[in-house]
Amino acid sequence: MRSLRRYLVTVLIALFTLISFLAALQSYRQSAGRAEALFDQDLQVLASSLAQQYQAGSQQELGLALQVWQNNQLVYRSPLAPDTAMAESAGFTEHNFAGKRWRVFRQTPTALLTVIVAQPLQQRQQLADEVITASIYPVVLSLPLQALLIWLVVSKALSPIKRFSAQLASKKANDLTPVELEQVPAELDQMLKTTNLLFARLADAFEREKRFASDVAHELRTPLSVLQVNLHNASQQWQQSGIADPQDSMLALQAGVERMSALIEQIMLLNRTNPEHFQARTEQLDLAGLCRQVVADWYPQIEKKQQQIELLGLEHLSLKGDAFALRLLVSNLVGNASKYTQGGGAIQLELLTQAGKAVLIVQDNGPGIQPEEYSRVFDRFYRVGGDRHQSGTLGSGLGLAIVRDIVNLHQGQVRLGAADSASGLKVTVELPL
Amino acid sequence: MLINTVLMFLRELLPLFLLLATLLVWHRNHWRRFILLFSLPAILMLTLFSSNMLWISEQLDGFGLELLYSLLYTGCFALLCVAAAKRNAAMLLSAFACACLLSINGSNLLLYIWLPTQGNTDPSALLLGMALGVGIGSSIAVLWYYLLTELKQWRMLSYRLLLSLLGVRQLMMASALLIQSDWLPAGPQLWQTEQWLPEQSELGFFLQALLGYEATPVLSQGLIYIAGLGLLLWCSRNLKNNIRSAQ
Repeated sequence: MRSLRRYLVTVLIALFTLISFLAALQSYRQSAGRAEALFDQDLQVLASSLAQQYQAGSQQELGLALQVWQNNQLVYRSPLAPDTAMAESAGFTEHNFAGKRWRVFRQTPTALLTVIVAQPLQQRQQLADEVITASIYPVVLSLPLQALLIWLVVSKALSPIKRFSAQLASKKANDLTPVELEQVPAELDQMLKTTNLLFARLADAFEREKRFASDVAHELRTPLSVLQVNLHNASQQWQQSGIADPQDSMLALQAGVERMSALIEQIMLLNRTNPEHFQARTEQLDLAGLCRQVVADWYPQIEKKQQQIELLGLEHLSLKGDAFALRLLVSNLVGNASKYTQGGGAIQLELLTQAGKAVLIVQDNGPGIQPEEYSRVFDRFYRVGGDRHQSGTLGSGLGLAIVRDIVNLHQGQVRLGAADSASGLKVTVELPL
Repeated sequence: MLINTVLMFLRELLPLFLLLATLLVWHRNHWRRFILLFSLPAILMLTLFSSNMLWISEQLDGFGLELLYSLLYTGCFALLCVAAAKRNAAMLLSAFACACLLSINGSNLLLYIWLPTQGNTDPSALLLGMALGVGIGSSIAVLWYYLLTELKQWRMLSYRLLLSLLGVRQLMMASALLIQSDWLPAGPQLWQTEQWLPEQSELGFFLQALLGYEATPVLSQGLIYIAGLGLLLWCSRNLKNNIRSAQ
């Protein structure tokens, strides 16, 4: 099909013409058949009527009433005809007799001879109905057929649009490959081209964005490292030279550079774990073992703050997931808990299974966050209390955003709530097994 | 009168319309050229035959018209065979095949319209009958065209088979005329299906136009049919490639 319009117009006209003409032909045949039967019946009546003329006293029912008058004397009447004249005026009239309504025709061929013929109106109506019904039947019966064929033709004509729509509907959010259709009609061609062009532009834009964030972060890493080293050296030289720094400017500078460095690391991780870019390499892994490794990684900092950490629940929890991403998830949660919990505080990790899902609960007895902030802390660069967080801890505001991306990547869920202790935050992560 | 005119037009036009629709599917990318190539020889042959109809019919012991028609039917079949087998001149040969068929059916229709007896009949019935016949025939051809377009796309073998049936139908018509003029031995009757599917019914007309349906075929016709069908199927074995290269 090259054009929907041409296809629909030509096929529908052809269908209408074919069915209407066939119905008309059938009506013609049936009406002709009925009319022929009617004429045959008239011939029969005429023959019977003539036969009666020669058989005096015959009482055979004709369907017609007949009177012959000569010199105003009734010389012949058929059994259904009355004794009196059936009509007084010449031509066609209607009269009642013998309990029926009759159509009467009176003819006076000569001055002395009058012939009156009558036929019941009901019989005439019945015959007319038969002819008309025979002609209407094929037309009425063809309507459902026409409806069915129209439905089929329209469905067929719209099938490319349906296929196009189905392809769009089945596309995943990160699938920006062009839509491909066979035998595209002219009306859909431009729409398909424009849609594919948009997909291509969108794919390019995503690619550029991905590269830009990644490239910028990568390019900033090296000068920042150099800056950190130089700051460290400069700080040591100041100490050795006995240069006073009453306002702790050097320490503030070092803290700022450290924060920037952490921020760049987080941006790179966020970019890497974004579901739109991330190509997950799922494998069967042990979440409990992964948690133990993360705790081991963070242990020096936890010990430095004299915090307590414990891992409760299952000793092995096997699930399918991306090892790098899940390790990052647990690391961010444990890191946050340690960072925002006061020295000497407690952190607890718990692993369990519930309703066919793996559940990881990380809670602490730190200050926690207000329930109204729960939804906002997953936003990128959002930090509770802004840069002046009461903990005074450096942060980028990207940790929980990364956690949410990784959870989405694994089709899981993450919830925040109050810890079981008097204060603190409880993060619950559910992942499919 | 009305019904006779409708049946006459259907009988003459339906085979031509079906063949035209089938070949237009083949040459759809160059349909204007195909129509031009078909129209010119068709008009020429039609004019030639219809103007000399009386003289032709008196030749060869009064069988001149039958023999000319059978020659044209056979020519139509042969042209279709060569068109299906040869890639180069397929469109020209197909157009000539249609022109052969049009010259037969067109001559018959002109004869019917201009018969002296038509002078006493109601011209409105003739016109209405023509409109009904042309309308039904062309509607079937349009639907046939779109059906074949789908078939050609997904089931090339079906298209080949239908083209072969249409081709061998012309051979069947030629054989019937040759038997009628005693130029071909008839042989025993193969079967009788007149009670179930009369040739004069609508479906009978359609099948006759499509595949040369005969209610009472004879042995020689059966043999010609099988041989012709086999030949055309063999000739069209590379039809898919030929059509692709034409498009």
